[in-house]
Amino acid sequence: MAATSISKNIAAPKKRARGLIITRVSFLNAKTLLGAGAFYILFIALVIGFLYPTLSGINFSSYLTSNAVAGLVGAKLKNVSSFSSLIGVELYSSIYALLWGGIIAFMAGAALPATFENGTLDLALARPISRTRYFLELWLSAVLGAIFLSLAATLSIWLATLFVKNADIDWSWLAIAELIELALMFLASGIGMFFGSFMNASRAAGGAAFGIIALAYLMNTFGTLSDKLSWMLKIEPLYYTQGIQALSEHSITGWYPAVLVVAGLVCGIAGLVIFNRRDLPTT
Amino acid sequence: MTVQEPVIVIDNLHKSYGKVQAVKGISMRVEQGEIFGFLGPNGAGKTTTIRCMLDVIRPTSGTLRVLGLDAQRDKMALHQRIGYLPGDVRLPGQMTGKQVINYFSRLQGREPVLLDDLVARFDVELKRQLKGYSKGMRQKIGVVLAFMCDPDVLILDEPTSGLDPLLQRTFNEFLLQEQARGKTIFMSSHIMSDVEKVCQRVAVIRKGEIVTIEEVEKLRQKAGQRVTVEFGDAVSPDDLSRIPGVSMVTSHNHAYHFNVGGSMDALIKALSRHEVLRLQAEEAPLEEVFLKFYENPQVETTTTGTR
Repeated sequence: MAATSISKNIAAPKKRARGLIITRVSFLNAKTLLGAGAFYILFIALVIGFLYPTLSGINFSSYLTSNAVAGLVGAKLKNVSSFSSLIGVELYSSIYALLWGGIIAFMAGAALPATFENGTLDLALARPISRTRYFLELWLSAVLGAIFLSLAATLSIWLATLFVKNADIDWSWLAIAELIELALMFLASGIGMFFGSFMNASRAAGGAAFGIIALAYLMNTFGTLSDKLSWMLKIEPLYYTQGIQALSEHSITGWYPAVLVVAGLVCGIAGLVIFNRRDLPTT
Repeated sequence: MTVQEPVIVIDNLHKSYGKVQAVKGISMRVEQGEIFGFLGPNGAGKTTTIRCMLDVIRPTSGTLRVLGLDAQRDKMALHQRIGYLPGDVRLPGQMTGKQVINYFSRLQGREPVLLDDLVARFDVELKRQLKGYSKGMRQKIGVVLAFMCDPDVLILDEPTSGLDPLLQRTFNEFLLQEQARGKTIFMSSHIMSDVEKVCQRVAVIRKGEIVTIEEVEKLRQKAGQRVTVEFGDAVSPDDLSRIPGVSMVTSHNHAYHFNVGGSMDALIKALSRHEVLRLQAEEAPLEEVFLKFYENPQVETTTTGTR
């Protein structure tokens, strides 16, 4: 058999910088989902900006202060004609939590099972990568997705203020609103990672995580509608997500975001424990 | 690791999924620099054993040591020195071959020193997105991923699956060269002809149990000779079956075909009493031996090769 160059003088492999390669690839895999989310944020912010001169003349008081609408948006507003209120309703209400929180929940839920499906999980774990690191890097990619959407929202609002006269955005309260929404999206990522840790189909796991956010939205809606159902509010996350109050009313309950972060950590850590203990599927 | 310790040590490995026992207490040793074949029909427990070695699934009981390291407890240190080729190479379709190689070499934490040679040898396409790749093309990428960082031990699950005959030959030559460089190779297959060309020893697994562990050369001797004889006079199959060492007698177009194990002396003496028009002898295909193992575990239960 002919000897070739490889049988002679093979250099010992040098160490190669790893960085957060799993995070990067997972983040890029979700680019369509995140891109769609960012597009709709931008679209909504610009539409509100363009329509604001007309919208500001409409009397929304009876509409937005009703229990039904308050249930849908997740807050009862006092001043409903300002730009910050309208942006708050469209981008920082419960709808924000449902849509963009749902995107992050789906992204995180699908992250792990997608690597079962595309065959990279076995190959990755056959290398010197612990399951813990693998899981945490995927989780980080979902958190980066949340930060990306948050930055997209801030940028979109800033773009809208360029052509809206008397845009009453208080940037420090906007930053607080973003941090509150980030806390919710962190919880969404934890829920997603939890489902992804034991489910093998990416769409099913992502869908299940999204379903939890949707269920929370329904509980928030019904809980706001009636005092008899108010118990629902305290066991679902949107009650603790006061982005719209922060932006429109400049008031929040300080410890509420901590509830979201702790719940997200609990879900994510539970997922990590499950992932570390389970046998991984072949397909 | 002591000098004498085999590179791969599997002791009394059990793996159950609920009530289903996929692997039932198998044990084997693979020595440094050996190419070891792990044969069995589909569903016999080959992939389960391999996935236990990689800690992708956890054994129910038993121990697995590779390079002196515990497959579970020391997996981070161990995986730096292992190359793995899965049975069904699936890769993310949106990435190119180059991106996948870059991704996994970074996960390995080592430079892919054999990459250029492997790409040239197996004619691997790197620029296209993987979603358009055939099974064979994906298998070639899988081979590159397993070998590129020059690991000490290769764990290959049905490595020639999907490769055309020319590439199978290239792959076998490559395995032998890697063996000459001191690499230890553990490869599973359900096709005997795949492993008999390169392996020194084979273990046969059936329904989760080791049926035999044997040197390929000894199996070849056991398989004996496949003989074809055409007679000029009348001979009955029973006459041939009574000759010591003769088995599996069949006839076709006036010619008799049968296997002869061990010495041919008795056969030659028996044939000399008849008019022989044509006589042909060749090595019996090992496939037949293994089919017997697959079908009936009672055929042979020697484990002379466990060391």
